[in-house]
Amino acid sequence: MNGPVNMESYEYIGHTADVGLRAHGKTRAEAFENAARGMFDLICDISGVRQRESFPIALESAGGDETLLADWLNELLYLHESRGLLFSGFSVEVLEAGRLRGEARGERIDSGSHILRAEIKAVTYHMLQIKREQAGWSVQVLFDV
Amino acid sequence: MRVPGLVFADSSLLEQAAREKALEQVRNVACLPGIEMASMAMPDIHWGYGFAIGGVAAFNTDDGIISPGGVGYDIACGVRLIRSGLIFTDVSEQIPALVHELSRSIPAGVGRKGEIRLDAHEIDRMLLKGAPWAVERGMGWAEDLECIEDGGCMDGADPARISNRARERGFAQSGTLGAGNHFIEVQAVERIFDKQAASLFDIFEGQLCLMIHSGSRGLGHQVCTDHLKLMSTTADRAGIKLPDRQLACAPLNSDEARDYLAAMACAVNYARTNRQVMTHLARRAFEAVFHRSAEALGLDLVYDVSHNVAKFEQHNVGGRRMRLCVHRKGATRSFPPGHADLPARYRKTGQPVIVPGDMGTGSYLLKGMESAMAASFGSTCHGAGRVMGRRAAMKQIRGNELRQRLEARGITIRAGRDASLAEEAPEAYKDIDQVVEVCQQAGLSSKVARLRPLGVIKG
Repeated sequence: MNGPVNMESYEYIGHTADVGLRAHGKTRAEAFENAARGMFDLICDISGVRQRESFPIALESAGGDETLLADWLNELLYLHESRGLLFSGFSVEVLEAGRLRGEARGERIDSGSHILRAEIKAVTYHMLQIKREQAGWSVQVLFDV
Repeated sequence: MRVPGLVFADSSLLEQAAREKALEQVRNVACLPGIEMASMAMPDIHWGYGFAIGGVAAFNTDDGIISPGGVGYDIACGVRLIRSGLIFTDVSEQIPALVHELSRSIPAGVGRKGEIRLDAHEIDRMLLKGAPWAVERGMGWAEDLECIEDGGCMDGADPARISNRARERGFAQSGTLGAGNHFIEVQAVERIFDKQAASLFDIFEGQLCLMIHSGSRGLGHQVCTDHLKLMSTTADRAGIKLPDRQLACAPLNSDEARDYLAAMACAVNYARTNRQVMTHLARRAFEAVFHRSAEALGLDLVYDVSHNVAKFEQHNVGGRRMRLCVHRKGATRSFPPGHADLPARYRKTGQPVIVPGDMGTGSYLLKGMESAMAASFGSTCHGAGRVMGRRAAMKQIRGNELRQRLEARGITIRAGRDASLAEEAPEAYKDIDQVVEVCQQAGLSSKVARLRPLGVIKG
């Protein structure tokens, strides 16, 4: 995954109660991938998460791309919490007309080797945004932590 | 705006709220249909998502709505206070051992699983019955139940309205504290403001107490996520214009609203059971340290309040008695003496209101007041309220220095990570004394006792 030149792939946005995230990409798909990385970087130290297993993700949404963004992140959060998984690699292969196809790569949580940082309760719809930028796309979400 | 916005604050608290987007959020809620009287916020108001934290809004049942975002993801997040017959100066040397034992027996922190594993059938029974489910299984005492709102069980729960995803997320987390701002504190009563009420609450100066702050864990979070999605197009179809997508809502008389309310009640029951299970584990920890039974130690529940919830209540609006759906998003019910919903033992005093402050400062036990019924639908504050974001706190405050600072003041700390400690530093919160004082002056609640922390367990 190559981030856009001269641009951090994601940054956190200040919020009083919770944590906001803005992620960038040359394409919308890449911005979605970076948002997922940013989310898991809040949950754990992703540099220690090996990409041992791959989990396919297929989503459909009638609510537009912003809903799809929330769905994508919520799907990963659900897999993390219910299956005890951590992810560090993400690909979004199809992102069009309310449809997303991609995968997340990671491994089971090992309390001996992984450093867990935070519990994210949910991806909210507050401040949810997808924007065209000069050098590509940016997406923005607010997590309830 | 259909009604005015009403923020209970003094000038400095109002100024803090105005610096962020909290007041905009009060305004947005005032635009929702069926809202009565005012879109309100308690003095611990701060910027949330959708509703401001500290928000109170009541909707009539004719054209009003229910909004899952107005309850929040952590459905029935709340606090309970457990008193003891111990005087802290008699046991001060055992506090570190007690904190250690509590942290050993109650799973806390990111990704920690609980001891209780339930199959789908048993989890559904728990969702239906709430805290009585735990008591029936030996986790708690029958007397605990009358000291929980609604006797520990919210009516109308229907596990069939809970998704399998919510069940899966709740599966391994029953009886766990969680992370973020959730905590268990060993506290000492340092000041009594109202001798009569304190005596009826069995609270005295120097008394050792325990406070538990936790919610409905992944199960509640998923219920909110599921139903926000189900309602994402409902408002549109009902012709309701939403100023913020997070305010997605459904008319109270719709199927979507009924489904959410039945699922929300399950999450409320889960949260109360969760705090009940942790109370049971805490009593075992006290027994291990003090070599006396929990009964002999007098570890009785004072009260259990939920500060993220929507409830149907009777209120007077413009001289009319009305059934309203009261949303409290970071606000605590504060019912007065004589209210029919209070257990017999608190009819004379009014409802015990438990307000946790930050871990370095202190917490309050308050009582509900008659004036709150007219002023705020019987509601008051829920905590100190944040002033500093979590990331900002982590940048400005070093966790290990904070730990040393608190330990120098005699507070024993058990935290998963120093960084998570920094997020919850006293500087990140408003002044709890100021917040509680505004509630007192506004007649929302009345001070009974102040408690200071002796030991803190955080995820």
